[in-house]
Amino acid sequence: MKRTGFLAVALVVALFWSLVPIYWFCRMAFLTPLEIQHYPWPLIPHAPNPAAFYNIFGFRYVLSGNLVSPASGQAAQIIRGLKDSFLVSLIVMVVTLAITLPLAYMFARMEFRYKNSLLFAILFAVALPPVSTLIPFYAMYVRLGLAGTLSGLVIVDLTLTVPFVTWMLIGYFRNLPPIERLAWMDGYGRLAAFVRLVLPLARSGVAVAAVIAFLFAWNEFTYALVLVNGTTANTLPTAVSGFLHQYPEPGNLAASVLITIVPPALVAYFLQRHVSEMNLVDPVR
Amino acid sequence: MARIELQQLHKTFGSLAAVQELGLEIAEGEFLVLLGPSGCGKTTTLNMIAGLEAPTSGRVLFDGRDVTKVLAYHRNVAMVFQSSLLYPHLSARRNIETSLRHSGLGRADRDRRIADVVRMLEIDPLLDKLPSQLSGGERQRVATAKAIVREPAAFLLDEPLSALDAALRLSLRSEIANLQKRLGTTTVLVTHDQIEAMTMGDRIAVMSNGRLEQIGTPDQIYNDPATLFVAGFLGAPPMNLIAGEVEAGCFRGIGFSLPVTAPTGPATLGVRPQDVRVVASEVQGALVARVFALEHLGRESVLIVEADKSTKLRVLVPPSFGARVGERLFLAADPERCLLFGAEGMRLPLHPAVPG
Ligand SMILES: Nc1ncnc2c1ncn2[C@@H]1O[C@H](COP(=O)(O)OP(=O)(O)O)[C@@H](O)[C@H]1O
Ligand SMILES: [Mg+2]
Repeated sequence: MKRTGFLAVALVVALFWSLVPIYWFCRMAFLTPLEIQHYPWPLIPHAPNPAAFYNIFGFRYVLSGNLVSPASGQAAQIIRGLKDSFLVSLIVMVVTLAITLPLAYMFARMEFRYKNSLLFAILFAVALPPVSTLIPFYAMYVRLGLAGTLSGLVIVDLTLTVPFVTWMLIGYFRNLPPIERLAWMDGYGRLAAFVRLVLPLARSGVAVAAVIAFLFAWNEFTYALVLVNGTTANTLPTAVSGFLHQYPEPGNLAASVLITIVPPALVAYFLQRHVSEMNLVDPVR
Repeated sequence: MARIELQQLHKTFGSLAAVQELGLEIAEGEFLVLLGPSGCGKTTTLNMIAGLEAPTSGRVLFDGRDVTKVLAYHRNVAMVFQSSLLYPHLSARRNIETSLRHSGLGRADRDRRIADVVRMLEIDPLLDKLPSQLSGGERQRVATAKAIVREPAAFLLDEPLSALDAALRLSLRSEIANLQKRLGTTTVLVTHDQIEAMTMGDRIAVMSNGRLEQIGTPDQIYNDPATLFVAGFLGAPPMNLIAGEVEAGCFRGIGFSLPVTAPTGPATLGVRPQDVRVVASEVQGALVARVFALEHLGRESVLIVEADKSTKLRVLVPPSFGARVGERLFLAADPERCLLFGAEGMRLPLHPAVPG
């Protein structure tokens, strides 16, 4: 009885914690600027209107009473940000998987020289605070002409996703039953066993690794702000942050934030089964 | 079917010697059981026969041909792994089919072979299930089917029954032995269970600490153990082992002596519980002991007595035998059935070999 009580309290706190900000943004996105300024603010929009969602994509919207809500000045940035964010996230996801799946598998299942030192190097990369490499990256990128390019952003994202996902997958692969031995008895080579049997068996781990890489690239803000913001390459979070420098458009800001969290929310929803299926262990034993 | 020879096989993992100086020969169609406590190198040995693990030195021969460097698949052996490992994401049918994937057989031949093993092992209703949906015994059957569908030259089983409950173990034990005799395939089975070894094997190879202790028929291993380890490892209830000394042609242990003709020095006397009797006090050389416990097994009882604080002895008695705990009684061992082991654990002759 006592335990269910605690559980209920914990649940309420968790729901409150995660849902209130979303509710708040939804509310703002569907209010007109006038209604937002009005006090006391309505808790639920009584006549929700989608004006903000038109405005942020560069369309004007005619409100009731012939009031016109004009297109947002950030519209071009938002549209490009959406496109670039998808592009960068997808590429980071695919490349991360291509690198980390074989890498983590080798660490988990094979013996080779300097294995422990190399594993330590990977873990060290995870432990390094990302911001500490920001300035070196910037200096290097300016010289290499990578500043302001999407490829530059992809490379930076990879330096963070690869070590982290490798670290996560090593533990996952270690936990899989030793089916390679079955596979060798059945006439598969090492590579064929990995591709044809281990990967299908490890699909939960692969899915979670993909999600982590995608979401990481999608949410990455600091590097994007420094390396590509204000150029023709631009990601969604930096585009949204651009509202800070504009005449206040709280409705449009809220709508942009909602658009930004939709893809991660969808991904998380469809992949939660895999997350609970994979039991992670610490790769350092 | 293959005749398998292991010659001077060594395997080390780092500084650990998992298998040392292992040499043995397995006849065509023979059922050999590798028996030993956990960690003694049985699985490593089996893996080297299978080709999953390369020996550090030594050779593996199939039918006289050196296959030490031949890959697992090309040795044409099949293996059932510890806890009946299967591909967890494939149905039982796909698991079995995977064994034939590289066989070069036509579709019709494969289907026929699969149908044969399915019938032989009665696993028809299980074919569409995933391994996680099968019980331990069912998984064992499917793993066996997966192994024999290849019609391998040798059949290797690593503790196939250890994950199962006792009743199932009993019935699958005879099933495996029966199947092996029907197929006539050379088979090596690894177990740490001496009853499995005794009941299934044509011969038993007893291992300890990476070394072969003795190889022989169950009868030889039980009645004529070559080392103290083998004597103590086989038999339930276990053999009584009495530490003592050989002095002036006589073994002396705790209040117990037996004339022997072994060289002077520390020694251990072994006698099985069925070769010890409870006697009247008058018998010469009888051992005095106190009753510690009486275990009823139904057909017989095991009387456990304390000869001194550190030595407990077991005696088989008829089920009607009654005794109070703490009661004093006298024991005598059948001198003809006693075994003597030297300080290194090697068997010593009780009497000099009769020339002839
Ligand atoms: N891949 C390995 N790496 C290091 N040590 C191992 C490895 N495989 C087995 N060993 C060690 O070798 C010894 C024998 O193991 P194993 O053959 O599995 O024993 P058994 O099957 O008789 O229980 C054990 O001490 C085990 O810890
Ligand atoms: Mg083992």
